Amino acid sequence: MMDATGGIPLEHVIWFAITLFLIGVVGILIRRNVIFILLSLELMMNAAAVVFIAAGAFHDQADGQVMFMFILALAAAEVAVALGLVVQLSRRFKTLDIDAASEMTG
Amino acid sequence: MNTQATLMASLPYIVLAGGLLVVMLGICIRRTHFVAWSLTMVTLIATLASHLLGYEALGEGITVTMLIHIDGVSYLFNALFVLAAICTAVIAYQYVDEKLRFREEFYLLLLAATFGSLTLPAATHFVSLLLGLEIVSISLYAMVAYPEKVRGPLEAGLKYMILSVASTSSILFGMALIYAASGSMEFAQLTPVSGSAEGDVFYLLGHVFFWSGIAFKLSLVPFHIWTPDVYQGAPSIVTGFIATVSKGGVFVVVMRYVMESDVFSSEAIAQAIFLIAAISMIVGNLLALQQRNLKRLLAYSSIAHMGYLIIALFLVATQPSIGFETAIVYLAGYFVMTLAAFGVITVISQGSDSELASIDDIQGLLWRRPIPAATLVVSALSLAGIPLTMGFIAKFYLFAAGIEGEMWTLVGLLVLGSAIGIFYYLRIIFAMTAKPEGELDSVERGSWTGISAVAVLGVATLALGIYPTPLVDFVQTLVRVSGF
Repeated sequence: MMDATGGIPLEHVIWFAITLFLIGVVGILIRRNVIFILLSLELMMNAAAVVFIAAGAFHDQADGQVMFMFILALAAAEVAVALGLVVQLSRRFKTLDIDAASEMTG
Repeated sequence: MNTQATLMASLPYIVLAGGLLVVMLGICIRRTHFVAWSLTMVTLIATLASHLLGYEALGEGITVTMLIHIDGVSYLFNALFVLAAICTAVIAYQYVDEKLRFREEFYLLLLAATFGSLTLPAATHFVSLLLGLEIVSISLYAMVAYPEKVRGPLEAGLKYMILSVASTSSILFGMALIYAASGSMEFAQLTPVSGSAEGDVFYLLGHVFFWSGIAFKLSLVPFHIWTPDVYQGAPSIVTGFIATVSKGGVFVVVMRYVMESDVFSSEAIAQAIFLIAAISMIVGNLLALQQRNLKRLLAYSSIAHMGYLIIALFLVATQPSIGFETAIVYLAGYFVMTLAAFGVITVISQGSDSELASIDDIQGLLWRRPIPAATLVVSALSLAGIPLTMGFIAKFYLFAAGIEGEMWTLVGLLVLGSAIGIFYYLRIIFAMTAKPEGELDSVERGSWTGISAVAVLGVATLALGIYPTPLVDFVQTLVRVSGF
């Protein structure tokens, strides 16, 4: 994989995306505010999207970009349902803290 | 490509999508619970029937675009998922009528989830895998959190949503890396450009992400933490749907992935999956021992059951026909007994504010509610794998498959896990048969639709356990027709 995607080697894009993805994972683990958790999830999805675009360019195919469109649609659908749940959470508990809703254990 | 044959083969998808639109428009015109429910039932039954029509045109299998490949095996799984959706809809009617404020949309979500699950058995491409998976998941987030008056579902819905999206991202990221390494998204062409899998860091890393996400969706250890909370918090009927259709769909698509892409030829990947399966069998059963809530207990037992099923996954890589046969028989059995168990919890909880799912709630149930309780007894025996039930046939199949593939460790763990399992399944039965003190009112309350549906599932568990030949013959014929 030495060939360039617009001058940037594919490996560099992938390491960049892995970093993005891990930032998202850490965000989910340490943030307690639902909105920030959703942002972290979005970050993870977009990390995958970046790799798809770069790999598509690297292999000289349109597939990567088509996949990007699907990821966009997917993220939109997911956020729509997620925000519905967030509205429910804030109505019932008057907070966006995810731990407020958590009582099941074991 | 023969257009007419293609259209006929994809008839189930067309019928289901059309029915979904009809139900949606029906709700727009007039909100009536019974009408929405009837339209849903008609749609599902028509979808089931359309498999018979489409089967004529099927032949050895038809590839529709590059995304899906419809064949006898995918039809079998489709029929299984649609049947599960029909059971869910029948049992859900009374629950929806009693507990929910916005009733009609529940069925839309059910139909949408079913549609997604039908896409999975036929998927041969990352795009169709992703779309099928997400149509199921997104519908399920809403279904889990649907009841707004009680607290559990919202918590379960949030937990499920956040963790499920995270796992989808993980699957996506894995796909992206595999695509970067191989230059294709079709299952059959995923070999890395560089030649060997072991030498390609990004290919292996991609599989780490991909399988982590899949293991989450199948709730395999160590990605199982969400399972008990979601199982407990979600309405029982939705839990039954997650446990069967959602997990079954994911498993089927993974099977096709393993068969076509031949990933297990890479030693590292195969060993990782082997380890996950082994830990799941043990940990799932051990954690189930301490549970006093029926739904949490079933959650942990489902972790173990998915671990057992991995044996079939390994067999698919080497001998596809036996692997698929095992998986179909096992999943059919698992579907019947799991739906029966969650159906019983739904039925006995009618008329009470919270769900009666703890061991104390079912104390002496056999004397108060004989029909649902008898079904739960059969279902528990079947989950434990006692002979003369479907669960025994299913486990026997896995056992034989494991011996066929010479997976001695996994077979040993399967036996060990089943032995531990008998203990907690029997505890359910002992609780139900304990004779309660004081007055008995052994009157069956609640709706007869729910009770009879549950009873049918119980009888089916027994009947298939005593005389499985027709099912096995049917499955064998269809697997052979598909040309594996």
